[in-house]
Amino acid sequence: MISLQNIEKVYRTNTVETLALNSISLDIAKGEFLSIMGPSGCGKSTLLNIMGLLDQPSKGAIKIADQKTDHLSDKQLANFRNQKLGFIFQSYHLINDLQVLDNVELPLLYRSGSAKERRKLATEALEKVGLANRIKHFPNQLSGGQKQRVAIARAIVGRPEIILADEPTGNLDSAMGNEIMDILMQLNQKDGTTIVMVTHDENMAHKTHRLVRLFDGSQVQ
Amino acid sequence: MFKHLFKLIWNKKKQNFLLMSEMLFSFLVLFAVFTLLVYYYNNYKKPMGFEYKNVWVVNYNNAYKATNTDSLTQFYETLRQNLKALPDVKEISFCSDNVPFSQNTWQGSVNYKGNPVGGVNQYTVEDSYKNTMTAELLEGRWFNKGDVAAKNRPIIISSDLKEKLFGNERAVGKLVGDGDQPGHDKNAMKIIGVIQGVKAKGDYAPAGYAVYHRTDTGSFHSLGKIMVQVTPGATAAFEARLYKTLANYMKDSNVEIEHLTSKRKDINYFTLVPMIVLLIVGGFLVINVALGLFGVLWYNINKRRGEIGLRRAVGATGNSVSSQLITESMILATLSLILGTFFAIQFPLLNVFDLPASIYIVAIFCSIGFIYVLVFLCSLYPGKQAAAIYPAVALHEE
Ligand SMILES: Nc1ncnc2c1ncn2[C@@H]1O[C@H](COP(=O)(O)OP(=O)(O)OP(=O)(O)O)[C@@H](O)[C@H]1O
Ligand SMILES: [Mg+2]
Repeated sequence: MISLQNIEKVYRTNTVETLALNSISLDIAKGEFLSIMGPSGCGKSTLLNIMGLLDQPSKGAIKIADQKTDHLSDKQLANFRNQKLGFIFQSYHLINDLQVLDNVELPLLYRSGSAKERRKLATEALEKVGLANRIKHFPNQLSGGQKQRVAIARAIVGRPEIILADEPTGNLDSAMGNEIMDILMQLNQKDGTTIVMVTHDENMAHKTHRLVRLFDGSQVQ
Repeated sequence: MFKHLFKLIWNKKKQNFLLMSEMLFSFLVLFAVFTLLVYYYNNYKKPMGFEYKNVWVVNYNNAYKATNTDSLTQFYETLRQNLKALPDVKEISFCSDNVPFSQNTWQGSVNYKGNPVGGVNQYTVEDSYKNTMTAELLEGRWFNKGDVAAKNRPIIISSDLKEKLFGNERAVGKLVGDGDQPGHDKNAMKIIGVIQGVKAKGDYAPAGYAVYHRTDTGSFHSLGKIMVQVTPGATAAFEARLYKTLANYMKDSNVEIEHLTSKRKDINYFTLVPMIVLLIVGGFLVINVALGLFGVLWYNINKRRGEIGLRRAVGATGNSVSSQLITESMILATLSLILGTFFAIQFPLLNVFDLPASIYIVAIFCSIGFIYVLVFLCSLYPGKQAAAIYPAVALHEE
């Protein structure tokens, strides 16, 4: 589903050059649930962003769903992210000035479809994460776990084949973390969604199919 | 998407309040400036109503000690003959002090069918006034000697007054009362002609309402100006000769010759200066508002980098992010403008300054256009910057 070949990422600032990723090659199968672990600053987020086409590698090639991505225009990339990918972030990234339902509808605004349809899909997604009774709330009226569930609903509302989650449980206590993990595992098992998850939690990581460890930008396992 | 943006704006109404007030305030200031500009421009477009080139004004004070009215008339009629005998003088006309482009004003009222109209300029002029001024007769005729015997005092009115009193009806033959007391003095004056209004206060002022009265035998007591139409080639040497003729004849009087061309410049300057001051003040204000707007939008976009990154992640292109931000500003502007227009429209509705409604309407449209352009330009660059934000970087920062 996702294929990385010799990915290298160098960050250049005025003074320093950071080699954030060093020759990473990785093949992720359709329906796989993969976790990435490693110490802080080892390049996990960078890798996930590159997989999600939010960032470009300095070297190497990415194929997603058998499609080369290096020649895509801004518009095509945006379309690709919209159709194929769902993102979940450690800090949720909800828009605080929008109600839960509107937050979840967000990806659908960037494709065609009626308002009614968007509403229906968003409500369904919220039902899946067990938040159907909170659709009129604003994000700051929710707990951390609820916020992350809204973010998951937003990630799945467009029925993407791939979900990329960057420490989705990082800000949550273990009970809430487990809830989130259960939802992700269900998505993976029931809907066959391919999931790549960055985590610091060994227990979470061991629930997934495969574990990739990074150290200083290189893959060590 | 529109509805989505509306929700976003509505839910952030507190933050947007300041921005909207700023837009509203600048709209109102612009409205004032444009109203004045449109008013001046409308006046400027209208004909002057007479030919001021080659017309000189002689200021004198009536110092001749006459034993009776006849000898006074004799004195000035002789002067008239002397002046007309000069080579470059084409026409002369004695008249009241309120000559065009002077600061002198003499206003009164007329009434017609019980409706008084105030602010009517009153001119006392001679039969030769029309030719001296090259006034344009629109209806009826100018004064002549036969008017002495008229039962009702004959008057000639300006086109503006005609329209105010009679609309599209014919004015000639109608009787109007002098003063603003209907009934009193009723039917005192008979309109014998209508002339194109004369913009006596310069290019940027309206011609306004005017009534021309014919001089009578006693008028020389109160007249103080002579309008002199000279040939186009009249030289300074001729002016000196004219001056000498006048000064020698009216030994006890202070004589001064002015040219209407220069008087026009002076009075235009007099109206333009406040406008220029207003324009400068308005210009500074607009620059201030533009910078403020730009700053706020810029700040908002930086505050919203996370949101922008997120939108990019879920499928927004750079262009759609920038057009979203511009659209948001335009929606905010629209809301402010709706409110502003509501205030501005009260001016024509309540007829605050007695200006034609069309002036306000044009001013409202100009201000709306100006604000839209301003807001668009101010959000263009921040919007472009937002489009360039790399999604990963924006998400990274929160
Ligand atoms: N925009 C950037 N500019 C410069 N350097 C960057 C940038 N983003 C990341 N880096 C550097 O790249 C390296 C990898 O960063 P990354 O965010 O991928 O780490 P991480 O493994 O996700 O860490 P954490 O577990 O703390 O989230 C770090 O050394 C970081 O300083
Ligand atoms: Mg990270």
